Amino acid sequence: MSDIKLSNVSKTFGIVSVIDDLTLTVKSGEFLVLLGPSGSGKTTILRMIAGLETIDKGTLEIGGQRCESLPPGQRQVAMVFQNYALYPHMSVSGNMAFGLENIGLGKAEIAARIAAAAKLLEMTSLLERYPAQLSGGQRQRVAIGRAIVKQPKAFLFDEPLSNLDAALRVRTRVELAQLHQRLQSTVVYVTHDQTEAMTLADRVVVLNSRHVEQIGTPMEIYHRPATRFVASFVGSPAMNFIQVKTKLNGKKIGIVAPSGKWITLPNASLGKGDVELGIRPESISIVDRDADATGQVKIIERLGERTLLHVQLDKGPLIIVQDSGLSKLNINSPVKLKFNVSQISLFGPDGKSSLRSAAS
Amino acid sequence: MMGSRFQITKLGAWLITSLTVLIALAWVFPLYWGVISSLKPEDEVVRPYIELWPQTLTFDHYYSALTKSLIGLWYINSLATAVGVTVITIFSSMLCGYAISQLNFPGRRYLHILILACFMVPTQTLIINHFVLMANMHLLNTWLGMILPQLIYPVIIIIYKQFFDGVPKEFREAALMDNASEWRIFYRVYMPMNWGITTALAIVVFIWTWNNFLWPFLAATQNETMTVPVGITQVYNAFGVYYARRLAAAVLAALPVVLLYLFFQRQVTQAITLSAGIKG
Repeated sequence: MSDIKLSNVSKTFGIVSVIDDLTLTVKSGEFLVLLGPSGSGKTTILRMIAGLETIDKGTLEIGGQRCESLPPGQRQVAMVFQNYALYPHMSVSGNMAFGLENIGLGKAEIAARIAAAAKLLEMTSLLERYPAQLSGGQRQRVAIGRAIVKQPKAFLFDEPLSNLDAALRVRTRVELAQLHQRLQSTVVYVTHDQTEAMTLADRVVVLNSRHVEQIGTPMEIYHRPATRFVASFVGSPAMNFIQVKTKLNGKKIGIVAPSGKWITLPNASLGKGDVELGIRPESISIVDRDADATGQVKIIERLGERTLLHVQLDKGPLIIVQDSGLSKLNINSPVKLKFNVSQISLFGPDGKSSLRSAAS
Repeated sequence: MMGSRFQITKLGAWLITSLTVLIALAWVFPLYWGVISSLKPEDEVVRPYIELWPQTLTFDHYYSALTKSLIGLWYINSLATAVGVTVITIFSSMLCGYAISQLNFPGRRYLHILILACFMVPTQTLIINHFVLMANMHLLNTWLGMILPQLIYPVIIIIYKQFFDGVPKEFREAALMDNASEWRIFYRVYMPMNWGITTALAIVVFIWTWNNFLWPFLAATQNETMTVPVGITQVYNAFGVYYARRLAAAVLAALPVVLLYLFFQRQVTQAITLSAGIKG
C-alpha cells in the first residue's frame, strides 16, 4: 500500500492562490506525471506531498497514513531534485548513506543497501567519487540511488531530466521507465516536457494555472483532450484549430467543414453557433476528391520519416498536415484534405470539449 | 602607429610599476628599520644619522626582552584570549548567520536589522559599560574577562549569513527529506561546505584579537595578566627608555601574526576582501 491521496487541497502564497481545491489519487505502483507549463502549480503539488510546502487546506494520505502535518523526513517518500542537490563534500556512498544514518540504520544494513542500489544503477565503480568528479548523467544516477536506498513508499521527481543534454535525456528516460518496471513503486513525476509525460506515465495530470485540466492515460490525453488547453499543450506539432459552424440537418447535428461539406457528429452535445474543430496533423489525409477542406502548401518541413506541410486553407487558417516522408508535394501545390472524423475534437466557447467519441 | 601605442602602454606600465615599488618601499621601510634597530646596540640606535645595517649585530635585546620581562606569560595570555575569542566568535557567528539565513522564525528580520545596527556602535563607546560590568562580575584580570567583551563581531555574522544565503536551498530540502534534524543539517551539510571561509575568518579574527589593545589594556591591571601588545608598553626601566629593547619586544609581539599571515596569505586576503565589502 503506497497510494497517495490529496483531498480538497489548497495552497496560497501570501494572497496568491497556487492550488485551489485539488483532489487527486495516485494509485499504488502507478507512475503519475504532473504536466503543465511554468507556474501551473505542478512543482507546488509535488513539494506539498514531500512536505517542503505546507498544505493550507485539505488532507494528504500516503499509504493510508495522514501526512499533512508530518515533517518531510517522516513521510517515507524520496525526492529527486532538478539540480540533484548532492552534498558536494560527501562521496557518492556518503550521499546515499546520509539519509539512512539519520534514521539510525546499522552500518552493515546501510552498506548492503548502497551496494544493491549501486548494482541496480550500474554505478558501483563511482561510489568513492565526489559529485564534482561526476558527469551530469552520473549525478542523476546518484540522486536516484540516494532515493532508492531509502526504500520509500513513493518517489517524487522534480523535472529530473531537464539538466541533461538531449541525447542523455532520451537514454535516461528509457532507464527511468525500466527502473519503474523493475521496482514497481509509486512515482509522482513533474515535467513540462510532454514527451517525457507521454513515454513514462501510466496516467498524466495536465495542469494549467492552478487547476487540473485533465487526468488520463497518455493516449486519452492525446486523442481525447478534455479542453482546448490540453489539445494545444500536448502533441508536437500542436493540434490544428479551425473555426466552424454547427448545423442541424433533420434530427442530426453536425458541423460545416471549411469546404462547406456537412459532417455528422451524432455524439456531440452541440448548441447552435460557432465551435472550434481540433484535429491533429496526422489525422488529416491528402485526397483526390470528397475533400473536407482545400488549400495551398506554403511551407514544407521534411523530417525524414514524415513530412510536415503547412497548408493555408482557402477558407480558414494555416494548418499543419502530416504527409509521408517521401511527399511529392511542392510549395504552392494545391491540396485537398480529408479529416479523420473519428479523431476530431470540438471545443465550445468555454474551451471545453463538446465531443469525445467517434462520429459516424 | 601600433608601435607607438605599444610603447606608450609599456611606458605606462613601467611608471605604474615604479610607483608601486616606491609605495611598497615606503611601507616596508619602517618595518625594516624596526627589525634592524632591534639588532643594534643601544648606542648605535640613537646615532643622529641613518645606518641601514648595524655595525655590531646583537641579539641581546631579544634575550633581555625574553628573560627580563613577562613576555612568556603575555604570550600565553594573548594566545588564550585570541584562541578563545576566535573559537567562540566563529562558532556563534556561524550559528547565528545560519539561523538568520535559513530558519524561519518570528522576528528573524528584526534580528538581522539589529545585527546590522551594531555596526553603528563603535566598541569604544561601550568600553565603560564593559569595564563596569566585568568589574562587578570580578572578571578583571582573568582570561574570561578579557574574552567576553571582545566577542562582538557583527561583520562575521553578516558574512556567514551571506554565504548561507548563497547556498542553493535544495541542499537543505534534500537533508530535510533525508530526515536530518536541524542540528545535523547544520553540522553535516552546511558547516563542511564553508571550511574555506571559516579558516579565512578564523585567521582574521585571531589577528584582530591578537592586535587588539584598548580592551586588554583596561581589563588587565596587573603585569601577569597582560597580553603581548599591552605588555610590551611596559618594557622600560628606571633609567629611561631603551629603544632597541622596546623594538625587540615589538618584533616578538608581531611575530605570531606575521607567521600566520605568511602561512595563510591567501585565506587572509580572501577574508579581508569579504569583510571589506561589508565593513565599508
